[in-house]
Amino acid sequence: MALTSEEVRKIASLARLRFSPADEATMAGQLGHIVDYIDQLQRWDPGRGEAASGPRAAAPPVAAGDPAVAAVTPAPAAAPASVAAGEAPEAEDRPGPCLPRESFLANAPAALDGFLLVPEVKLAGE
Amino acid sequence: MTGSPDLWELGAEELAQRIRRREVSAVEALESALARTARVEPLVHAYLELFEETARESARAVDRRLAAGEDPGPLAGVPVALKDNLNLAGHRLTCASHILEGYVAPYTATAVQRLLDAGAVVLGRANMDEFAMGSSCENSAWRPTRNPWDLGTVPGGSSGGPAAAVAAGSVALGFGSDTGGSIRQPAALCGVVGVKPTYGLVSRYGLVAFASSTDQIGPIARGVRDAALGLQVIAGPDANDSTSARRPVGDLLAGIEDGVAGLRVGVLAEIEAPAPVTAPAAAGPSAGGEGAAGAAEAGEMAVAFQEALGALERAGAELVPVSVPSLGAAIAVYYVIATSEASANLARFDGVRYGRRAAGAPSLAEVYVRSRSEGFGAEVKRRIMLGTFALSSGYYEAYYGKARAVLARMRRELAAALERADVLVTPTTPSAAFRLGEKLDDPLAMYLSDIFTTPASLVGLPAVAVPSGLDARGLPLSLQIMGRPFEDATVFRAARAFERQVGWQVAPRFRGAEAGAG
Repeated sequence: MALTSEEVRKIASLARLRFSPADEATMAGQLGHIVDYIDQLQRWDPGRGEAASGPRAAAPPVAAGDPAVAAVTPAPAAAPASVAAGEAPEAEDRPGPCLPRESFLANAPAALDGFLLVPEVKLAGE
Repeated sequence: MTGSPDLWELGAEELAQRIRRREVSAVEALESALARTARVEPLVHAYLELFEETARESARAVDRRLAAGEDPGPLAGVPVALKDNLNLAGHRLTCASHILEGYVAPYTATAVQRLLDAGAVVLGRANMDEFAMGSSCENSAWRPTRNPWDLGTVPGGSSGGPAAAVAAGSVALGFGSDTGGSIRQPAALCGVVGVKPTYGLVSRYGLVAFASSTDQIGPIARGVRDAALGLQVIAGPDANDSTSARRPVGDLLAGIEDGVAGLRVGVLAEIEAPAPVTAPAAAGPSAGGEGAAGAAEAGEMAVAFQEALGALERAGAELVPVSVPSLGAAIAVYYVIATSEASANLARFDGVRYGRRAAGAPSLAEVYVRSRSEGFGAEVKRRIMLGTFALSSGYYEAYYGKARAVLARMRRELAAALERADVLVTPTTPSAAFRLGEKLDDPLAMYLSDIFTTPASLVGLPAVAVPSGLDARGLPLSLQIMGRPFEDATVFRAARAFERQVGWQVAPRFRGAEAGAG
């Protein structure tokens, strides 16, 4: 499956990435080659549905490029079937201590008065 | 060898015992490790940073506790190397990426804290493929690590730094992360033992996430007993990771010498008769490189695997034929699911909260795009793009949805195989260490290195890579032993029996160095 430069630009935009025209062409070729390989999935018969998976296993990851995913700690995602029901219970939904604000902000590229500092969210005219 | 070995040559278990008995001090052990590291590091480049100052403080603290009559723990004074994606408070962490330049860990990973609590001394942070994406350690933004067996070959990846550090004798234990083979594959290429524990056995709190449904932290060691000891220390429930299993770990060393008499060892039919190579359209597992040289290597690997099966049989194991037809889909399933999760997990690196921010961006949206485009390397971008593609409108069902459906089949097939057998064995890798640069321009060829390691990751099974011999070039080969979920102890028992049977005592010779360092 060949990918066009336009398709690469669209995916890059979703992923908050940008490529030079030369890199765009390289990416189109490499992604196309890899997608050709993973297209073999279409030939595999999955058999009996997803019965072995828990409900969390079916949840897809958050959309790429979503800057709302803010945690420094690992984002818990799909639970594999090896962890049988009841072995990995949900954490209690209760407030607890978290990283002190000053520790977190020590790594920030820019901060002001205890807050992260960023450029304008929307440029005039946008 | 004449006389008694230097302290750096001792395994973790023996070194800790000698320190706890106060036959040697933790400071002496550390100085021996630092002297060895000074000798081999210019050849191997296993580390991104050595923590000499804090390591000396830690070693002195261990000695003070011993002098006060306290027991510092099962890893008392043992120098360890950490992959550069494990947080240690107050120390830099980069995931070998420019985008995390300047980041200082504000807290300590649970697994690392357990190492410190057990008396381990952290020698430094070791190199890796950027964000754990790669099978050669060449995707590090800083520099490649070299394989101590042959400095012209790769150490594997992504935990190439810790594996090379352990193989070179710098430390007795290394700790990495394994998402699709990132501990087992470099351990195999470096002739050491690497462990991917059962999913949920080790907390990932403080591990920078790549693909959260398969990421696990595990040990790398020069012997199976040391690897079991390393896992024993870091395993167990953690309130800070809701995916860590709430169940006791058990004693991983108690039955490790019990042997494999009567143990049913499953041999996959798909491996005994490997399909010829592969990319891009094949549905069967790859068995080596391309062309005549690849065929010869595949033949050599097949012979080595048969010899490994013979060793297990001589040790008393019963070989049982099993079949996992979906093995051939493992790479495709893995690279859809792992890149999809990575595209979400790496969204947090946007130049706002930590790490590098591109200069002069006029808007927040431009901060995101420029920081990510400047900060990530080529392979990380490729995987984010692939994952974004697989999750995008119009392709989601065909790729992510289908991959999950085929994974469900693989899970059923592996579960059935593990009813017929107690453990399953495969080669760890389809080839021994390859040359630096050999696969750098062909991402798919690099991905195919993971054919045997991805199934255990996708299904959450425990798996150990254990050295099985040398190929015609004198490079290490490795056997992978997989087991049922939470039966890590059984996998260690089989690996230990195999290790004893093979009698592996070979050390790397640093081929390619002007003066041998071995």
